[in-house]
Amino acid sequence: MKFGLFYELSVPRPWTRESERTVYMNALEQVRLADELGFDQVWAVEHHFLEEYSHCPAPELFLTACAMITKKIRVGHGIVICVPEFNHPIKIAERTAVLDILSGGRLEVGTGRSATWTELGGFRANPDTTKKSWDEFVRCLPKMWTQETYAYDGEFWSMPERTIVPKVYQRPHPPLWVAVTTPGTELDAAERGLGSLGLVFGQFGEQEKRIAEYRRRIRNCEPVGAFVNDQVSTVNFLYCHEDDAVVRNTGRRMADTFNYLASQLISAREAFPSRSYQSLGLLPQLRRQATGPDASEQAGEGLAFGGPQRVLHALKRWEAVGVDRVNFLLNAIEVIPQADVLASLRLFAKEVMPAFADDKPASSASAASA
Amino acid sequence: MPTFGALELSTVADRLATMRDLDTEAWPLPNAEILQLSFEVPRTTESLLPRAMHPAIPPYATLWVTRYPESPLGPFTLAQLRLMARAGAHPRGLILGAVASTTEAAAALRERWGLPAVPGKVTFTRRHDRIMATVVRDGVTVLDCELVDPEPISGGDVQYIHSVTLANAPLDSKTGPLLVQVDSRYTIKKAERGRPRVSILVQSGWGAGPLWPGNPIAATVTTCDTDLPRIRFVMDVETPVVRGTRRIRESRED
Repeated sequence: MKFGLFYELSVPRPWTRESERTVYMNALEQVRLADELGFDQVWAVEHHFLEEYSHCPAPELFLTACAMITKKIRVGHGIVICVPEFNHPIKIAERTAVLDILSGGRLEVGTGRSATWTELGGFRANPDTTKKSWDEFVRCLPKMWTQETYAYDGEFWSMPERTIVPKVYQRPHPPLWVAVTTPGTELDAAERGLGSLGLVFGQFGEQEKRIAEYRRRIRNCEPVGAFVNDQVSTVNFLYCHEDDAVVRNTGRRMADTFNYLASQLISAREAFPSRSYQSLGLLPQLRRQATGPDASEQAGEGLAFGGPQRVLHALKRWEAVGVDRVNFLLNAIEVIPQADVLASLRLFAKEVMPAFADDKPASSASAASA
Repeated sequence: MPTFGALELSTVADRLATMRDLDTEAWPLPNAEILQLSFEVPRTTESLLPRAMHPAIPPYATLWVTRYPESPLGPFTLAQLRLMARAGAHPRGLILGAVASTTEAAAALRERWGLPAVPGKVTFTRRHDRIMATVVRDGVTVLDCELVDPEPISGGDVQYIHSVTLANAPLDSKTGPLLVQVDSRYTIKKAERGRPRVSILVQSGWGAGPLWPGNPIAATVTTCDTDLPRIRFVMDVETPVVRGTRRIRESRED
C-alpha cells in the first residue's frame, strides 16, 4: 500500500491577504516533509468558487511548486475537469506535459467532470453533457501526449492536424485516473482501463464490493491509454497522535469541519435535474457523515485517526479490501496547527509506514502493459 | 466556518403566520402538478434568512406553483417563493411568501403548517410548448413566470427539497417564532424539464426584499402524489440548527 497527501486547500474566513498564502505555504511545507518521509504521492484538486471548502482552482501551479521542492514524491493532478467550459483539451495536454517534464516524470493525471452546480453553473456548463465530454477528453488525451501529430473532430471539440508540444516525459505517458464519488463511476474507470481515484470516505463493506467489481471489469477493459492503470486509491483523514483523547477531539473536529464545509455548496443534482447526475454525489455523502445520527460510528470506522496502532489497524483493513493507495487530508481550514500536522506526519512515517513497506516500485510502474 | 443568515426578526414579525398547535394531521394531496423554477439570487438575500440557517453558495431561490386537484378543502392552487438554504447540513427551502387560490386554503396553511399564505388569484396554465403561472393580489400581478420548451425526463431525476417555514408556533407553553420543517413526500408519476423564465416578480408581494431572479438554473413540472405532513421538527430561529432542533415526533405516522 502506498500513501499520499490530498489537498483541497480550504481557507478559513475571514480571508485576508495572508490567509490564503499561509494555507498554500503550510501545504508546501507538509509536502516537502512528506517527500523526505517517504510518502508516495501528493494530489491537488481542481475546484472553483467553493468558498472556504477549496481554494484550489489551479492545481497544476501548486503541483509545480511541489515538484520543485521535492525529489521523489509523485504529483497528482486530481482531477482535471474534462468539461470544455472549464478546460480546453489541448491546454490540458500541454500543461500536464510541462508538469511531467518539470517534475522529472512524476505526474499522475486524474480526470473528472465536476459535481456541483456551484461550479458547473459558474462556467455555464451543461450538466447533461459532462459525462460525454469527459469520455471524449480521456480518449483524446493519451493520443495528444504520444502521437507526433494530432487531429480531431468530435462532439465537444475539434482541431486540425498540429504537433502538440511538448510531449510528456514519462513513457508511454503518465498514469490516468478517474475521480470516483458516485457509485458506478468506478465501472466507467474499469471499462476504460483507468485507475479508480476514490474521493469518498466509504465504509469497508461497501468499498470491498465496489473494488471487487472494478477488478473484475478491468480485466476485460478496452484501455483508452497505452496501458492499463488498475489501481484503486481512496481518500482518508490523517491525524496520528499518541494521546487518544487529543486524537478524538482534534481528528473529529477536522473531519466534522471538512464535511460541514461542504454543506453550503450546491450539488448538481440538487439544482439541475439531469440523468447525468442521478446519484447525489459527494456533497450529500459528506453531509450525512457530518450530521447523520450514526455519524460518529460510521465515519470513525475507517478513518486514520488515533495512535499508531489504531491507524495501522484501520489501514490494514483498507488494504485487505483491495485498496492500493490511501491519500490523506491533513487539515481543514487550518483547525489543526501546522506544527501538529507535521508531528502527525512524522509519527505516521515512523510508526505506521514501515508496516506497509514492500519491494514494489512506486505507483505507475505497477501498471500492466496493455 | 459556513456563513449564516442575517435576518432581523423584527422586520418580519408582523407577517408571520401563527400556528394553532404542532399536532396537525397530514393531508394527502394526490395528483398534484408542481411547477418549479430555480434561479440564482443576490448575496444580499442573506438578510432574509434566519441566523439559524446557512445560505447556499451561490444563493438561489425556487418558485413553486402547485395545482392540487384534491385536498380536504377541495381543489386549490398554491404559489410559493422559497429561498434555498441549509438547515445544519441539509438543503432546505425557506418559504418567504405564499399565495393560495382560496381563502380557506390560505387560512389552513397558516394555522396548520405555518406557511405565510395569503389568498389571491393563482393560475396554472399548460400549453404544449410551455407551462405558465401567474399570481394576482389586490388587483396587482405579483408573479408571471413560465417553463419554456418542456421535455420529458425521469421522475427519479427530480429532487424536491423540503421546506421550512418561519412562524409563530406553540412550544413549551409559549407561542413565538420558530422554524418549522414541512417535509412532504413525493411520488412522481411524470416529469418534464425546461427553461425557466420570470417576467414579473414583485418582491413586496412575497416578503422577498432584495430577492430578484438572476441567473436561471432549471424548471421542472411534475405530476405526483404528495402530502402536507405531520410536523416532525422545529428549530430555534437564532441558534444554529445543529444545536437548536427539537424533534416533535419520531415519525410522520406518530
